[in-house]
Parts: sequence; structure tokens; C-alpha cells
Amino acid sequence: MNASRTDPDPTADGGQTAHVVDLRGVCHSFSGTPAVTDLDLQLESGELYGLVGPDGAGKSTAIRMLTGLLAPDRGEGWVCGHSIRRPSRALRQAIGYMPQQYSLYGDLSIDENLDFFGHLFGLPRQQRRERKSRLLSITRLEPFRSRRACDLSGGMYKKLALSCALLHQPRLLVLDEPTNGVDPVSRRELWDLLYEFVDEGMAVLLSSPYMDEAARCHRVGLLDRGRLLAEGEPTRLIERFVHRTFLLRITGRHQVEDLIGAQPGVLALSPEGGDIRAVVRQPEAAGFRQWATSHAFTVRIEPVAPTFEDVFLGLLKDPAAIEERGGA
Amino acid sequence: MKGFLTRVTAITVKEAAHILRDPRVMIFALVLPVLLLLLFGYAISFDVDHIPLVVVDQDQTNASRNLVESFTSGDLFEIKARRSTVDQVEPLFRSGLARAALVIPEEFTRRLAGGREPSVQLLLDGSDNNTATVALGYAGVVALEVSRRQMPTSLSREGAPISAQIRTFFNPGLRSSAFIVPGLTAVILTMIATMLTALTVSREIEQGSMEQLFTTPVSRLEIVVGKVCPYFLLGLVAVLLVLTAGVAMFSVPVAGSLWLLFGVSALFLLAMFIQGLFISVATRRQALASQLAFITTMLPALLLSGFVFPIDNMPWPLQFLARALPPSYFIHAIRAVLLRGNGVEAILRDSLAILLFFGVFLLLTVRRFRRALN
Repeated sequence: MNASRTDPDPTADGGQTAHVVDLRGVCHSFSGTPAVTDLDLQLESGELYGLVGPDGAGKSTAIRMLTGLLAPDRGEGWVCGHSIRRPSRALRQAIGYMPQQYSLYGDLSIDENLDFFGHLFGLPRQQRRERKSRLLSITRLEPFRSRRACDLSGGMYKKLALSCALLHQPRLLVLDEPTNGVDPVSRRELWDLLYEFVDEGMAVLLSSPYMDEAARCHRVGLLDRGRLLAEGEPTRLIERFVHRTFLLRITGRHQVEDLIGAQPGVLALSPEGGDIRAVVRQPEAAGFRQWATSHAFTVRIEPVAPTFEDVFLGLLKDPAAIEERGGA
Repeated sequence: MKGFLTRVTAITVKEAAHILRDPRVMIFALVLPVLLLLLFGYAISFDVDHIPLVVVDQDQTNASRNLVESFTSGDLFEIKARRSTVDQVEPLFRSGLARAALVIPEEFTRRLAGGREPSVQLLLDGSDNNTATVALGYAGVVALEVSRRQMPTSLSREGAPISAQIRTFFNPGLRSSAFIVPGLTAVILTMIATMLTALTVSREIEQGSMEQLFTTPVSRLEIVVGKVCPYFLLGLVAVLLVLTAGVAMFSVPVAGSLWLLFGVSALFLLAMFIQGLFISVATRRQALASQLAFITTMLPALLLSGFVFPIDNMPWPLQFLARALPPSYFIHAIRAVLLRGNGVEAILRDSLAILLFFGVFLLLTVRRFRRALN
């Protein structure tokens, strides 16, 4: 019952770990099927970290362990020095969490939802009011404060959920696919909001299936089948990508797409407008280009700089697609 | 402690808002109990009256007419038909038009005057044994009464039969409503209270808000306590409504203290709310929770509570089950206070049993809650 309860962990605040998040070899499996395997993850304050991966990669499981909702089978982790194995009140005070799915109370108004979380986090009246009005003004939800959550649009709802998670000014903000089901304009707004809080020193960890979003993070971790394939700054990851990307313009795309995909060395194909991007293994790249030029369906083929999405698609097929470099 | 209160209050306020904004909950909690009481109160009655009677008066004298009059002066029998022979009675029984027949033979008056034992015949439809038993008992009383009136005074002086002066305590009219309404109150409260809270946790788990709640500093105990509070207040209003309706509509005597009645009802409500929460936490699905809440309350409250069937007459496994569940204690207590006018000491054992159930289930609920997301 004591809010100022101290964590017995020796690494608690001011101890040897300065990381906001520190996961060491964390694992979790659901009835024998591993969801997350040996995850190591460190996050500093003022850092925006994106956990990207396809559906079922283990993003939500990792996030649930991090927030103390799910106990790891093996490994240990700390948030601000508080163990995630035995989630204490101090751990929860340190984290603001916005789940992927609808998690607020639809029959409560914006005001009431905010007040509810303000009370649960033990904010004094004056502080609650100040923070609420600040959040309402930067999210521009102020005019709708008496509207019920179930009557909000997707974007407004997400902004409210974000405000509820931010009200107690957590040191770590965790967002599970925050832009899911949000229109591009609202998505833009959400990102602006996030940067604002990151600039103030908050650590933000978010998951996303969208590569363009991942590219906006300071650091990303690529998660696939429970394992972290690569980690680093998006631009560095692109630099360290060893394979080649081509942009092809072809005729009769539907007939020849499978044929192209079956060529040796082709790791991934993705559409770009009317063209196709092909990620090809570096040793086979020259051969692929020759093969493509020799066919009549190829109108044009040119090498292009890989995007973050190319890197990710390449990594899914070839875990060694990122060049190991000391100190990177 | 201050943090505990703040968080419990926050949950309570939120939960109260859910209740107040959902008319279905209000109807379920406040209208349905009274409706059920009226419905069942009028439908369930062990009182037997207006038994359809066929009269076969083959004597057709003043004496025989007086006898018929004695039978029908009360509310118990109502003459539906008159026939001249016994053979004509059976078809009436078969068609259900009559359930009893009074046959007065030709020589009734002559035997009466001659001092020889006059006899009349009562035919009963035994397919409804409750009605038949009551009719039988009543007929015996009427016959005794009539014969005493008819007997020569000289005889009655010396060898009059012993007459039992019967007086029934607590429910002089032996009206079943005085017996049924308290029991019905218990059944209704059991069902409504459990069903109300059975949905609260499973709904939040299904809707996803529980996940968010679990990442806040609120503890499981605080959630449970916070959720019970507003339902408790609502439940008290429901108790008040049901008791008022019971007393007003069925003229149930209130012999004891209403405060005591209210107190034991409040305790019982708590036990039922925690039972509902346990179901909610254990099932985690609204559909399953509501079904389970219905089954685990309706059947025990109706059959294993002593409401209809005395617990002492049950086979021992059922007795054990009945005594493990709060409705049996509540029905005992509510009858004790309402009808017998007993004080605290008479219902102390019942109250402690209900309190024990509450404590055990509170513990189970909080323990079970802990693993909710794993």
C-alpha cells in the first residue's frame, strides 16, 4: 500500500544500470511455442526506439514483459532499475503504456478517463489539473473534453490514450502499434507529439509493422519470430546492408513476377507504383541484372539505394544481411 | 493508506459511472427484483383454496343441505356441479372439472336420527397430492364439527372426544406468502447480486481495459474492493425495494427489527457480489460468466437453501452443499428476524457463516486475479 516502497533490487535507481530499459536474455513461450527468445534491449532516456517486425513476430509479447504484464520464462529485465519479474508499484509509476487495442472506457468522457488515470497514479489535484489541461491543449482535444471516448474518431482516441499514458509523466513511454487504424494526418500529429516528449528526455519504445515509421525512430530493432535480427540507427542499418536493390519496369507484371521471384539470389520483391523493387543477394546481383536485361519483358532495370523496408525484407530471408562492424 | 483509498475511490467512481450510464444495469438491479418478487409471489403458493367440488346429495334433506353448507362455508371448496349418482363423478375428475366430490347417501338423515353412525363419502383426485392432503384434513375437521353439533347433548357431556386447541405461532393464518416471500427475497438477491458483478471483470478483460489497468499502480485487491462498492450501494436499494414490496404486497408480518434485517441482507449481498466477481475473474469471458452465475445461484438458492425443501431431509452430500452456501443461512436468518422477531443472537451463527464465505471468496478472487494476463 506504500507508494514510496523501495525495490530490493541492488541496481535500482542510481545503481549500476543507467539504462531506462535493460533487458537481458528475456524469453517467453506460450504453451511450448516460443514468442520471444533471448531478447537483449537497452534504452536510454531521450531515445525513441522502434521495435519492428511482421505480425506475430513477438512485439506485443516483448512489450507485455517490459510493462510487467507478463513474466519472462527466462532472463531478467529492469525498467529504471525496477525488476520486471516482480512488478512493483515503482515499476508501474515509471511506465506509461498505451496498448494496441481499445483500452479506455468508452462510456466515460475524455475528462473522466484522464481523471481516472490521474487518480490511479496518485497525482495531487493541482498537478492533475495542470497536466490535463496541457495535454488537452497540445493534443487539441480541449473542445471535446466532455465527449465520450466511444464517440471519438480513431485519431482522437489514440491521442486520448496517449494523454492517459503521459499524465503521470513516466520516464518510459511504451506504445504498442500506436498508429494502427489512424489516418495519415493524425499519424503525423502523433509523431510530432512523441518527438516533443522525447526532446524533454522521455524514453519511448514503440512497436510498428510499418517500415516508414521505423525509419523515424532514433534506433530500431528488427524482430522476427521472437528474435532480434538487427538493431541500430535506421540510416546506419541501410549503410551496412550488404545486398543490392534494383528497380524494374516490366510489362505483363502478373505473368512474370513469380518467374523473377524464383531467380537465384532474389530475396524479396515489393511493388512500387507500377514498378517492382527487387532485393538481390550481392554475389548474384550482377547475374540477376544480366538475366533481366536479356528478357523482352524488362523495359528497364536500374540499381537503386536500399530503403529501410528493403533492408528489413532482406533480413527476414538472410539474417547475415547486415555487415558486422565493430562499435556500430 | 491514503493511496489505497484514492485508488479504490477512483475505481468506485468509474464503476458507478458505468452503472448509472447503462440503463440495462439499473433495470436489472432495481426493476427486475421487484418484478420477480411479484411474479413468483403470486405464482408460487402452497395455499389451497377453491377446490372444485361435485356434490352428490342423494338424501336431499335439511340435514344433508346443512352438511353441504358446512363444507362450502369456507374458501376451501367451491361447488362446481351437482350430480345424482356416484358414477357421474369420475368423468368430471377425468376432465379436471372437479378435484373432490362429496357423496351423501340416501339414509344419511335416517341414520343420524336413529343414532346409528351416519357416513358420508369424500372422493378425491389424488394426482395433485398437495390439494388432496389439504382437502382430506379439512374434510375431517368439518365432519367432526358437524357431528359434535348433531350429537345429543347428554352424550357429549360424558364422552366428548378430546378437542385439541391448536394455535400456530408466528404465522397464525399459516399463509404460505409469509413463508415464501422471505425465501423468494433470498433467491432473487442471490441471483441479481451474483449476475451483476459476474460481468464486471470479464467485460474489462474482453474490452481490453484490464490490460491498461494492470500497468497502473492499482492492486488487485483495490480493483475488487472498488468494484464491489457501487454495486453494494445499488444492492442495498434493491433490498429495500424488495422488502418493501414483499411487506406491502403480500402483507408479510415484520416481527423483528428492520435494521437487523437490513444488516444481514447487506452482509449477504457482499457475499454474493464477491461470488460474482470470483466467477468473473475465473471465467474471463462474459458469456461464460453469466451462464455460470445463473447456474451457480439459481439452483442452489431454489433447491439447496431450505426455501422449499427442508435441508434436514436431504441426503447428506446435499446437506453438506447446502450448508456450504450462504443462501441457506440467509433464508434462516431472514425468516428468524421477519417472522419470529428474533434478535442478533439468533442470527449470529448465520451471519458468521456468510461472513466466512465472503472472506474465503475475497481471498480466492484476489489470488486468482493475479494470473489474469498470463
